Parts: sequence; structure tokens; C-alpha cells
Amino acid sequence: MVKVRGLRLSVNPEFTLSVESFNVAAGEVCAVIGPNGAGKTTLLNTLALLTEADSGSIEIMGRDALNSAHKMFLRRAMSVVFSQPYLVNDTVYGNVALPLKLRGVKDGPAVEAALELFKIGHLKDRNARTLSQGESHRAALARAFVTGPRLLLLDEPFGSLDARVKETIVRDLRRALKSAGVAVALVTQDQGEALALCDSMAVMAGGKIAQRGSAQEIFARPASKEVADFVGVETILPGSVVKKEANLCYIEADGKTLEVISDCAEGDRVFVCVRPEDVTVSGNPDAGSMRNHFGARIISVEPWRLEFKVGLDCGFSLMAAVTKQSVEGLGLKPGMDVFASFKATAAHLIKR
Amino acid sequence: MDFIVSGFQKAIALILSGNSEIFAIARLSLTISLLATSAAALAGVPLGGWIAVKKFPLKKLLITLANTGMGLPPVVAGLVVMLFLSRNGPLGFLNLLYTPCGMALAQFIIALPIITALSISAMQSVDAGFYRQVLTLGAGDWQAIKVCLKEIRPAIFAAVIAGFGRLTAEVGAVMIVGGNMRYQTRVLTTATVLETQKGSFDMAIALGLILFLLSFTVNLALTYIQQRKAAPRW
Repeated sequence: MVKVRGLRLSVNPEFTLSVESFNVAAGEVCAVIGPNGAGKTTLLNTLALLTEADSGSIEIMGRDALNSAHKMFLRRAMSVVFSQPYLVNDTVYGNVALPLKLRGVKDGPAVEAALELFKIGHLKDRNARTLSQGESHRAALARAFVTGPRLLLLDEPFGSLDARVKETIVRDLRRALKSAGVAVALVTQDQGEALALCDSMAVMAGGKIAQRGSAQEIFARPASKEVADFVGVETILPGSVVKKEANLCYIEADGKTLEVISDCAEGDRVFVCVRPEDVTVSGNPDAGSMRNHFGARIISVEPWRLEFKVGLDCGFSLMAAVTKQSVEGLGLKPGMDVFASFKATAAHLIKR
Repeated sequence: MDFIVSGFQKAIALILSGNSEIFAIARLSLTISLLATSAAALAGVPLGGWIAVKKFPLKKLLITLANTGMGLPPVVAGLVVMLFLSRNGPLGFLNLLYTPCGMALAQFIIALPIITALSISAMQSVDAGFYRQVLTLGAGDWQAIKVCLKEIRPAIFAAVIAGFGRLTAEVGAVMIVGGNMRYQTRVLTTATVLETQKGSFDMAIALGLILFLLSFTVNLALTYIQQRKAAPRW
């Protein structure tokens, strides 16, 4: 559905969007994630044909999207939802019917269906300016679906909503996307939102796509230090592979030896990545089946979502996510000596 | 002091008597100003919207010209139009000099920069994101400008009201281009000047009163339309 090749766009002297390759298939929901200023919105605006690229090619539905002769056709085959709903001073019905009106198409059942899809049928006669934020976002989504788009571009579509409202809208959007079979690029900073909606992910950093793959792959096997950092890998240790037995690598980092399953070769300089949720903290000196087991001193214990993050000094810094029950049960507090362990399969190596 | 009071009394009597010449003058005034304002609005509002949202070379220069045009002295506009319409002028073949059409043309030239400049500034108050959103809804350039203009309807009507106000009050251009010919090109402002010069203050006051009432009525209608669909913000 969408094929981007060698796209270059110089936004300002400090920032250039440079996307070698980016595809989204029909029916695929691709989340584009990345830190602020990574170029996500610039990429989306380019796909929405709102910003012109300096070079490269964009093919949408088999047509050259950079050819201005196809611009209107493609714009009318896609829908874009921004973080602000941008509703016009009209009724909710009038807003949802607007894309049809602009196409000179008679409104009617399609508008009603779109209103029902996002559960705002009862609001159709209200002026859109009197809606709550959540209702406004629902109206913007209904407006995006009313034309039956083949490509849907969502730019932080729930940016300013509170978590509960966001959750219900995401649920309705997921249902709508399932039945529509539309190609979707969803730009978001919220990884939870991305995971709830996407089939695949693209991580952007510094104007480039740093990694493209399934969410599971990106979270478990980040391709670079930047990606690892962004997807919540808190322990990133520089080291080198000193020995290799079968696919088990022995890595020396900060004077300690870590064991990680990887296809890296002996002598490779690497970053060892360990996600906090893969680290176990206990008072037990017995390693059990864990190949990495270290005595550690607790540096910090801080609340994190519904759990706690425990900073450990094992000779190197290690971050662990620990449940509230464990923190209370073990009486974890800074200065305490404990044992930290993680499996050889849980860590991931990135070549430096 | 007495001559003012008696002037007003006579003026009201004159209006109530249904003096046909006064009403013919008022009708012509209203027709010319409304025609010129409508034409200037039809051209200036979309033009202002387009200038505001498009990127093109010399955009700032064009905006400066529109802003300068807001202060264009009517006598200058009148002079230029007269020179163009005069027998030996480039548009002399149209035979519009000393006709209501020629006067409307001069007034159009006065109102156009006012309505354009105020429309540009109103349009520039629209969030660029809103304009881009409308484009993504499948709008062509002009459709998107139209949707945005509807959003700022009160400000656009204010621009039109400002243009109309300037034209009803204007005397220099219609005097030069129309020539203030009785039964042909005499309008309320030029007639008021003439009657004042003649010392017939009652007639001048009557004309002034009618001018004020006409202006008030038209503005009342425009304001009503302006406020009718204003966003429920306040």
C-alpha cells in the first residue's frame, strides 16, 4: 500500500528526514515510535502529501505520490487524524459529513455508520465546539472513517486525553481497524497505545528509521543503542565477547563476566541490553537456572507504574523491575545487599 | 443654535414629505455602495484567504500593498479611475465616466484593499494545522480556503462592514468620477457637500440623516448575519 524509498527532506540545517525504506501493507497497522524530534510527524506529513520531499519516492496504492497529478486522488483515498481534532463550527453530523461534502458525494448512511462506529450517534445534532475532548477525538475518528479510506495516518491521535478515556477510544479504534482492513501508520510516543493497536513497529531516531519489525522483536531485540534506550531497556553495558561456546557468548563488562545467548562472534565489541522486567532480585545466593547471578547492593528503590524500579550495583549498574509485594516481602531498601539474576536468553547483544 | 434645531425640523419634514429627488439620491447611493462592496467582497475575501495560506515570492510585498491600500485617499482613487475612464484614457471606450457604473468602479478600488487586507489578517489567525487538516479531508485549495473562511465568518463580515462603511462615507471619488450631476450621478455625500456649500442646511441635514439611517440599516443586517452563526465561545 505504501512504499517509501530513499526519501530525503531537509527540514532545517540541523535536521534532515532520511528514510531509506519504509513499507506499510494493506491491513497492516504500523506504529511509528521514537523520541521527540525523531522525525515521526515529518514522515507522516510527507505521507499525507502535506510536505514535499527533496528527493526519493513514495508510492501509495501503486501510484507515484510525489507526482502532483495524483495528489488529489491519493489525498481522497486517505484520512489523517492529528493530535488536535480540528473540528469545524458545525454540528457533529456536519463535521463527519464534511469529507463527503468536499468530494461532492451525498451523505447519509455512511455518516450514520461512522457516528455509530465511534459511539457518538446521540451527539450528531450537537455543535462540535461544545463536545468534551474525548467526544471531539471520537468525532475526528468518525470523520476519518466516513470515506472508507485505504490509508489512515494517525499523528498522536489521543495526545491530550486522560488514560481512561484514551483506553476506551483505543478499544473502539482497534475494532474499527479490524473490520476496515486499512493500512495504518500510527505516530505515537505512547508505547502502550502502540502495542494495543499495531501489527508492526518502526522506531525513528535522528530522522532515520532505526528499526522496523514486530513489536516483540523490537522490544526484545533492539537493533541499536538508541532503540534499546527508547523501548525501555535500562541496562545498556558496553563490553566485549571474550569467549564463545556454541551460541553462548561470554562477555566481559566492567570487570564482570556475563553470559548471553547470541550469534555475535568472539572479539566483538557489544552493548549488553537487559530489560528491567527480566531481572530477578532475591535474598537467595543460589543461582538456580539463571546463568547470570551477581551479588548486588541496592542503590535506589523508586515507584514505577504499578511496580518499583530497583537500581543495583553489581560492579556494573543494573536496573530491575520489582513488584510491590516483593519490595515489601523482601524489605528492599537502598544500602541493602541482595542477589540479582537474569537468564542468558533474556539479555540481548548489540554490536558496537 | 436655532438654525441647527430648525434645520433638523425642516429635514424631518422633508423626509416625511417623501421628496422624490431625495429618495432617488438615496437609492443611487445605496445601490452604488452595495454593488461596489459586494464586488470587492467577492474578490477580496477569497483573494485575502489565498494570499494568507499560500507561499509565493513577494507575498510580504503584496500584503504591504493591501495594507497601504486601506489608507488610499478616495480622491486619489477617483482621480486614477477618472484618468482611465476619460475619453483619451485606456478605458475611455467604455464610456463610463460620469456614470453610476464608473462611480461603483472607483468605490470598488477603494474597498478592495480594505476587505483584502482585513481578510488576510483574519485568515492568518486560523491555525495552520486546521488548514492542513481540511486539506487532508479531501479539499482542493479553494475548498480548504472556503472552509477556513467560514470558520472566521465574524472577522470576514467585519472586513466587509469596514469596506461598506468606508464607501458610504466616501465623497472624493464619487465626486470626481460621477461629477455630482443632478438626477444622474448625485449621491448622498456629494449632495450633502453641495447643499452645505449653498447654505441650505435643512436639505444637507436631511441628506445626512438619510445617509446615517441607510448605513445603520445595512450594518444592522450585516451584523445580524455576522453574529447568527458565531461559534458558541463566549
